Amino acid sequence: MKLYLDINESFKIALGAIVANKSRGALTALGIIIGIVAVITTMTAANGLKNTFRQTFASVGSDVIYVSKRPWVQMGPGFRFRNRKDISLAASDALQQKLLGRGIVNPSIGGNKNVKYQSKILENINISGTTEKQIIVSDMVPNTGRFLMPFDIEYKKSVAVIGSEIAEGLYENTDPIGKYIKIGRNKFLVIGVMEKQGTSFFGGPNFDRQIYIPITTFGKTLGHNGGRANVNIAIKAPSQESMADFEYEVIGEMRKIRGLKPAEDDDFSINKLDTLLDAYNNMMGAVVLVGLIITSISLFVGGVGVMNIMFVSVTERTKEIGIRKAIGAKKRSILLQFLFESSTICLFGGIVGLSIAALLTKVINDMLMPASLSPSIIISALVISIVVGVVSGFVPAYRGAKLDPIEALRYE
Amino acid sequence: MSVQEKTQVFNDCEMTDAILKISDVTRTYFMGDQEVNALRGVSLNIHKGEYVAIMGPSGSGKSTLMNTIGCLDVPTSGSYHLEGVAVNEMSEDQLAEIRNEKIGFVFQTFNLVPRVSVFQNVELPLIYKGVAKRKRREIVEKAIAAVGLEDRAGHKSNELSGGQRQRVAIARALVCEPSIILADEPTGNLDSKTGEEIMVLMNRLHEKGHTIILVTHEDEIAEHAQRIVRLRDGLIESDIVTATAS
Repeated sequence: MKLYLDINESFKIALGAIVANKSRGALTALGIIIGIVAVITTMTAANGLKNTFRQTFASVGSDVIYVSKRPWVQMGPGFRFRNRKDISLAASDALQQKLLGRGIVNPSIGGNKNVKYQSKILENINISGTTEKQIIVSDMVPNTGRFLMPFDIEYKKSVAVIGSEIAEGLYENTDPIGKYIKIGRNKFLVIGVMEKQGTSFFGGPNFDRQIYIPITTFGKTLGHNGGRANVNIAIKAPSQESMADFEYEVIGEMRKIRGLKPAEDDDFSINKLDTLLDAYNNMMGAVVLVGLIITSISLFVGGVGVMNIMFVSVTERTKEIGIRKAIGAKKRSILLQFLFESSTICLFGGIVGLSIAALLTKVINDMLMPASLSPSIIISALVISIVVGVVSGFVPAYRGAKLDPIEALRYE
Repeated sequence: MSVQEKTQVFNDCEMTDAILKISDVTRTYFMGDQEVNALRGVSLNIHKGEYVAIMGPSGSGKSTLMNTIGCLDVPTSGSYHLEGVAVNEMSEDQLAEIRNEKIGFVFQTFNLVPRVSVFQNVELPLIYKGVAKRKRREIVEKAIAAVGLEDRAGHKSNELSGGQRQRVAIARALVCEPSIILADEPTGNLDSKTGEEIMVLMNRLHEKGHTIILVTHEDEIAEHAQRIVRLRDGLIESDIVTATAS
């Protein structure tokens, strides 16, 4: 009961003191506001990056293994991978045969070309030579028209399925299906437009700016002979098997196809979504940590500002502390009074900072990437501001609490 | 009979039921390197219902004695018992509790908490005592009525005149039903007419049975008391009963 009264009263006194010094309280809170805005915006931006990353690679699928010449995430010098033998289309066919129909194998080749329709040109578009199985290994499907069919591959047709951004860029409001697109020097017939994938991760692939053509036609457009180009093989694992076992089997079959001796290292790389996620988490973890450390400095400076003002507040109210002690206030009551004052200022700063951060997050969300304030971020912001208040208020409050009542009463 | 002898008799015969017992108290401070002996062996007993004035020139140890009686300070040596409790052995927080429950302070400069209302000022000791809200309201309203400030309860202390402020302070001193009301120059910052009003109020409290200790250097004020203790150089110079307790 007594403690409750103490807390209740101390809180009222603290509020009274803040209200009596509104502009000082506001200026003090400013430091905390800036600190909270910085820390929270860093956190939401980090979350936004993570969301973008997930969205970008959502189509990759976690049950798909990619066999490529190079790893997606390259550690160490690159020459080891450059000197590897290209993976041929024949290897892909062989792998398909060895797996005996378990799993879906899709070979693809990638390259960049400028594309053109009438007078409009889009530069450096990713051209992917692939097969009809592309839409099985990735989750992307055409929005209008159709995807590649087995006969397109077999008869080496000059047909193309284009990404939504290319459709907008070259054909604007008209329907691209049935029209021609010039890839490099060759004309292709547009047979489908892919569904829009939306935002893409900075520096990551943008699937909306991609064109799919039959892998058998790819050599013509990019100057390769289809059989000699470096092929990426995507293999969708059969759903009833464990990924690890299946991966192990794929590695074994690939080693046989590539004719490796038991002691030799793999001369190909196995890539998975997990590899990317791991690499991303490692990198972003470090970046976010550094960001938080830097922004925490501004919060720390804000806390020092609060401490400073609390010293002023205690000194100013020395006489009042003396009066309160004379009529029976214990150390605890005085300590609580000033701790409440500093944490209320900080909590106020935290709430205002959070509101500003919410606005900034909305701007980031509208203009850059899908960012949002999660409940855990909101709660941690409020907890952090109260903790800053208590920590920075403690030394001044303690100094006030242990004042000698006679000295304090004499103070003018 | 000399004054000294008279004091001795007075102290001896009523030693047993004293509310406040100070024996051979000394208080020494250090101001820089200099040792100051503010009290050099003071013994004093005060009984329930007494009206005592403590007088003395500045530097006589009057303030130090008042701080000691008020439990704001503890003696360097000697003992101080308040209602049988040894105050000289208490911790800071225990002293705060004793001040809250047993001492009612009335200061020369009123010492009201700024920014808060008359009601809240009077309520403060009850909050520190831990009295529940509804009970507090009742006690505070009664105390404010007792000093005649019912119509000012909602005002802030800086909206009051000096006399009114001192009345608030007296109401605040009364709410915890203290053993002693300790008034330090209660009229020092008031004009003589208002001062007289305050003294009338003090007299009335005495009539109701409160024990009052008045610290003053004005003979006129001290005359209200029934016993005058004079200090000089940290020792009691005289202790005279001027009127018999009613």
